[in-house]
Amino acid sequence: MLPLSLLKTAQSHPMLVELKNGETYNGHLVSCDTWMNINLRDVICTSKDGDRFWRMPECYIRGSTIKYLRIPDEVIDMVKEDAQVKSRNRAEMKPRGGVGGGGQNQRGRSGGRNTFANRGGGAGRASSQGNRPLAQGNKIK
Amino acid sequence: MDDLNPLAGTAHLLDEVDKKLMVLLRDGRTLIGYLRSVDQFANLVLHRTIERIHVGTEYGDIPRGVFIIRGENVVLLGEIDREKEVKLPLKEVSVEEILDAQRREQEQRQDKHRLISKALKERGLSANADLISEDCF
Repeated sequence: MLPLSLLKTAQSHPMLVELKNGETYNGHLVSCDTWMNINLRDVICTSKDGDRFWRMPECYIRGSTIKYLRIPDEVIDMVKEDAQVKSRNRAEMKPRGGVGGGGQNQRGRSGGRNTFANRGGGAGRASSQGNRPLAQGNKIK
Repeated sequence: MDDLNPLAGTAHLLDEVDKKLMVLLRDGRTLIGYLRSVDQFANLVLHRTIERIHVGTEYGDIPRGVFIIRGENVVLLGEIDREKEVKLPLKEVSVEEILDAQRREQEQRQDKHRLISKALKERGLSANADLISEDCF
């Protein structure tokens, strides 16, 4: 995951931006682009020496003036989870072989059907269909 | 094999990903953390970062979390040798102590600068901005 993609996933999260001149801006990321230009909202600006503060509802920072950004730990955790899910999907796809895209689509659809059936499991209607949740219930009795 | 590698012979940071690195910034700050990502501008993502402040032979660590560093502010970076790390010839002190020591060091530096610019003024010269600037590089 590239640094700028990580910044994009950090959208709506709080962050601290330090400029090259030492000023820091604390706020929530609204948007960013490929030049690292960013929009923040609910901003507190702190002077270089840290003894003066300004509050502003929003601000725009030109990417080239940024020294670094500090983002919350959970943003990296989000990315890690994403990567895990993706690699798991890839691993599941491999043994099936054939056209990868088609295989995934089919699996997605059947998954959808199962969840729907499970949802209906509690209702009386489900007995006539003889679907899995009820069958399991019978076994337990 | 190297002939097939498109990055052979080019300087790149991909080998450093997921290693523990020390990064020196243009403003003189030292960050230590795990490199998670880089791009073509040498923008960096550092994870579990600490800021290490050195004063003389003492140092203190401040936990800082995740950094996205804009590449142009980096002076140098290098992998930390885990074996050498455990026997540093430096003494770790608390954050309060090191911040205190850093403040004293800065005051001394300012006093020195005042003295220099005063001496230069007396000789009809103006203080050199390079001497006073905090940007080390």
